[in-house]
Amino acid sequence: MLDRLSLSMRASHILVALLVIIALVFAVVAWSTGDRFYLRLATEALIFAGLALSVDILLGYTGLLPLGQALFFGFGAYVSALVLREVPSFWVAIGVVFLSTLVVGLAGGLIASRARGVYFALISFGLAQVVSKVVYNIRELGASDGLRGIPILDIEFGLVSISTNAPLAFFLFTLAFMLILYAIAAYLLDTPFGRVLIALKANEKRVPFLGYSIFRARLAAYMLAAQIAALSGALYPMLRGFVSPELMFFAVSGNAVIGVILGGVGTLAGALYGSILLTVMRSVVGTWTEHHLIVIGLVFMTVVIFLPRGLFGFVRPRLEALLAREHRP
Amino acid sequence: MKTKLKGILAVTAIALSGSGAAIAQESVKIGVVTPISGTYAPIGQQVRWGLELATKQVNEAGGIAGRQIELIFEDSEANPSVAVQRAERLFEVEDVDFLTGTVNSGATLAVGQLAERVGKLMATTVSFADSITAGQCSPNVFRVNARAGQQSAALAAWVVEQKPNAKVFYLGPDYEMGRSTVAAFKEKMTEFGAEDVGELFAPLDSQDYTQYFGQIRAAQPDVLYTSVAGNDTVRFLTQMQEFGLLGDMLVVGASGTITSQNITAIGDAANGFGTGVGYSTRIDTPENNEFVEQFRAAYDADPDLYGTDSYGVIHFYKAAAEKAGSLEPDAVREAMRDLTWMTPQGEKLMRGGDHQAQQPMYVVQINGGSFDIVGKVDGETALGADLCERF
Repeated sequence: MLDRLSLSMRASHILVALLVIIALVFAVVAWSTGDRFYLRLATEALIFAGLALSVDILLGYTGLLPLGQALFFGFGAYVSALVLREVPSFWVAIGVVFLSTLVVGLAGGLIASRARGVYFALISFGLAQVVSKVVYNIRELGASDGLRGIPILDIEFGLVSISTNAPLAFFLFTLAFMLILYAIAAYLLDTPFGRVLIALKANEKRVPFLGYSIFRARLAAYMLAAQIAALSGALYPMLRGFVSPELMFFAVSGNAVIGVILGGVGTLAGALYGSILLTVMRSVVGTWTEHHLIVIGLVFMTVVIFLPRGLFGFVRPRLEALLAREHRP
Repeated sequence: MKTKLKGILAVTAIALSGSGAAIAQESVKIGVVTPISGTYAPIGQQVRWGLELATKQVNEAGGIAGRQIELIFEDSEANPSVAVQRAERLFEVEDVDFLTGTVNSGATLAVGQLAERVGKLMATTVSFADSITAGQCSPNVFRVNARAGQQSAALAAWVVEQKPNAKVFYLGPDYEMGRSTVAAFKEKMTEFGAEDVGELFAPLDSQDYTQYFGQIRAAQPDVLYTSVAGNDTVRFLTQMQEFGLLGDMLVVGASGTITSQNITAIGDAANGFGTGVGYSTRIDTPENNEFVEQFRAAYDADPDLYGTDSYGVIHFYKAAAEKAGSLEPDAVREAMRDLTWMTPQGEKLMRGGDHQAQQPMYVVQINGGSFDIVGKVDGETALGADLCERF
């Protein structure tokens, strides 16, 4: 007999598997029509989905609302861009992003994890504002114009290599990359650590009575989310060839939160779907009408009112019930 | 009835262009990535007006070598990430022949890099940052408007004429753009032999500038240069006036320091303020008077420099495409280099070495709430050396 968390994770895995199938079908269709734009747009959507995934770890599992998660996304993007300009190697860039995010995530976590509720949201927001303004004013980092000239890469895998300029190959690569991030997050959240986080969300005051440190658990969740956001961000300059301070702005953090709410808070798969939907919708609606912000605002309000638990808050319980029936002895 | 028929024809043409390649061949597609929403939306509006007016006139006169121009707009939200994504759609899906409209320099530089990677051409009509046609120049990017350096060169030349060997004090807003504008103007002034008597940087949104007045007074400057903008200008200049510091000091500044948006709030304190610009509706030439009249008739608003330069870019592309005899980017690029073409500001020259347009520059001074042209600096003096090393 599976408990509720494992059951919900199973349901999430099935939905992610469905996402992969949709992505592969899309890739075949796009490839056969010789498209470049939509493949690259979908790649961008996947990259931002990684950011939404990190938001869901904090918002959906730990009960913290991060209003400045773009800080780590932008950090990853800038570090990756700076490294790639000097050493055009994917592995070196990812390694440097990983290690530097350990340090920066710890520093940010030591500050932000002391607070909870609205105070956490404000500290998270404040940190991102401060850092983005600093970057905005440092000439060595390109100031308000950002950095360009990130070369087109060949990602080496021993025998094969993937060019970041080949839309189909890089899309599939990004899909695999995001699946790995998802798998790591899902695995960790299904361990006792994940259960402590959920306990924090449910009733923080009772957690110390069970012998767990609130601060340590929250710090670990914060660092995990920072890492996932930064590693996703590291792919951005590989796709677009530039970074700019706007990547750290509130609009990016806000969109990630909206994506998570659209998809369903605390569903992991929902964060991916919601964010991808949002990115694609923004692009398509933006082409269709100049009042795209109004349209997206209306869609968001409709979802919040009629599907208060998001798209998957609606779908997943039914899927869970189905799975539970199968596992009954 | 006639316009209705035209509308139907246009709709049919658009509907057919999706299926028939032959008809798509007919029109020249120009993509426009410009801020339609957000802080820079008013600039985007001028860009749109300028482009649409020029397109309408060119199309009525037979188009580019007999082919009609079709403009395709996308909202950049003044964000480089959005601008690049939108520009990619225009290049890849719409297959535009040319792209324009980017406003903030971050967007222009990022879209410029994309244009280079996909092998298409673009031009900015708004961005000021010198680097676009200097240190970060690209073989696929052109600029038809005047850059920041041209504005400050024109202003410096005029200031030196008014006050030879002047003592100059500089006050800028404390952020990257503020510091770079002050540094650029100071360099020009020092070149012309002016004496530097001090510089200050005040935080953005300063409420109180009086704390700096002691230092300004002690330096006894003849000329004060400032690049603060918006409401900061209002507070700075009115406080200066209240303290009786303006006297017969010549106050000059960046072109964005005093605009139609804050001039009323500044009131009398704005009188005598001078700045260098690439365009003014007051330029008294037959071409400009006709342009201003047509613009007002069409949109019930005055063109500003963004609208005018965007109007000019259509004529720039038309001249280049007709000279090249094709729309192939390589051929058009060759034709664009060292091309001269007509704009409301007069004849402009596209310098081949760095893709920067050369044009006469003007100095305007505020007199009782209106901007009067008080000086003109010829194009070559204002432009300065070619600093582009990439091509």
